[in-house]
Amino acid sequence: MAAELRLEGVDFSYEDATPILEKIDLTVPAGQFVCLLGSSGSGKSTLLRLLAGLQFPRHGRLSWNGQPITGPSLDRGVVFQDYALFPWMSVVDNIAIAIGKAQPKARKAERREQAEACLVKVGLENAIGQYPFELSGGMRQRAAIARALALRSPVLLMDEPFGALDPTNRARLQDLLLEIWETEVPRKTIVFVTHDIDEALYLGDRIVVLGSTPGRLIADLPVGFPRHRERRALFDSAEFHALRESIAETLAADTLRQLVAA
Amino acid sequence: MSETLTAPPRGTPVAGVPGDRQPERTASAPRQAAFVPSALLAILQGSIVWIVLLALWFIAAKYFPLGDNPLIPSPQRTALALQESLPELWEGTLSSLSILIPGLLLATLLGIVSGIYVGSSPLLQRIFFPFARVAAPVPPTVYVPYAIAVLPTFKLSAIFVVFIGAFWPIFQNTAAGAHALESRYRDNARILGLNSHEFHWKVVFPAALPHIFSGMAVGLGFAFILLTVAELFGANAGLGRFVQYYADFADYPKMVAGILYTGVVTYLAMSGLEAIKRRALFWHR
Repeated sequence: MAAELRLEGVDFSYEDATPILEKIDLTVPAGQFVCLLGSSGSGKSTLLRLLAGLQFPRHGRLSWNGQPITGPSLDRGVVFQDYALFPWMSVVDNIAIAIGKAQPKARKAERREQAEACLVKVGLENAIGQYPFELSGGMRQRAAIARALALRSPVLLMDEPFGALDPTNRARLQDLLLEIWETEVPRKTIVFVTHDIDEALYLGDRIVVLGSTPGRLIADLPVGFPRHRERRALFDSAEFHALRESIAETLAADTLRQLVAA
Repeated sequence: MSETLTAPPRGTPVAGVPGDRQPERTASAPRQAAFVPSALLAILQGSIVWIVLLALWFIAAKYFPLGDNPLIPSPQRTALALQESLPELWEGTLSSLSILIPGLLLATLLGIVSGIYVGSSPLLQRIFFPFARVAAPVPPTVYVPYAIAVLPTFKLSAIFVVFIGAFWPIFQNTAAGAHALESRYRDNARILGLNSHEFHWKVVFPAALPHIFSGMAVGLGFAFILLTVAELFGANAGLGRFVQYYADFADYPKMVAGILYTGVVTYLAMSGLEAIKRRALFWHR
């Protein structure tokens, strides 16, 4: 079986409520950075929770490397938007507990050492012994990324991880994520949920657009910009603007369709 | 408990409908912002009730004398009686603590362990909650005579009664805290692949700590009530026994001294718990 994340005919709805996701077919080859783009109500977060194994579809199948997804697994690390660190553990302990799960044989000192290395990697070398309440939003999200890295999962699922950050921090963390992803061999498969078109274009190899109510795929676009992207140059390029326009139009058309239907 | 006198900190369970607290909080917020009392003023304001009560006590003792053995002993006489009884009271304290501490420790341990597991399992909730709903509200004082009759020694029965009184509030608050675990922590635990033991003790337990401490404060209060009540029944030492003994001899200065002393001990115990709570919950904004 090819290394890939696959969704086949996935439907999701809460008990006897209106459908959230309808007939989602999607294949993500290993090592690809996919951005799931959609407005609120498009079920993009739900789709990510299905991939994480935190929820299960009504119909259809999800698999990673041909193995059906039956629950959370260390194969698939998750970073949420709300700072999901445990507030009662120091930052380094939050990472060390993940390392303990990824490498059950590692001794306590080793875990701590590796946890510190992960924190250095995300630029938190000065916050190792601190507690989440002592950190800014951006720092907490760096720690959340460090924890996902500590799991050494080949797949990383990210649910609007930078959605609550100010523009400066958001750009910094986007660059950090790309830097880590681009230098790793082999590259992780990343599914990144966002409602920000610029973010999706800057980060992704591919953008999958979800329409609203119910969530379904309305566009699937390759993003051909070469890697080691330069933010300013990219944002000024004509190709970027063209792609941006086309996605915005797709989303606007979907909104209009919804209004007409209602 | 200082907690009942001030606004409860975030995350502590509050009795009543949460909705009806909202307008009250928003209404008082601007007033607090407009007038911030200095520390000295705050101490003065906090002393008003004490000063008034002490003055009333002096006046009552001076102008309502009731023969040689006044029902209202003067503050001076009470202070003298207190000083005189300190060795006896200290022994009583040790005797009382030898009941209170084992009962309270047992209640805390069992209350937390069972509360964590029951509160985080729907199945265990269905099994235990119907019983707890009936058993918990029974005033634990009704067990005192029977416990004394059934158990071989007074001490054992008193420990048992203290245990029962402190157990239910600790169990119920712990279970409520475990039940209210935020879904993001649950998701996190699942994503990290934590096993059952790690989930209960590294996630549910710390997350429930604010609730647990509320339960322990109530439990400690109950423990003192039950301790003194049990001592009125059958002890030959202890704080409750001291008060009862001198009441029997109509030695009111010593009796009042005993009441005041017991108040101080209770206050110190509550403050100790408060201090532990602040230390343990430093991460809780």
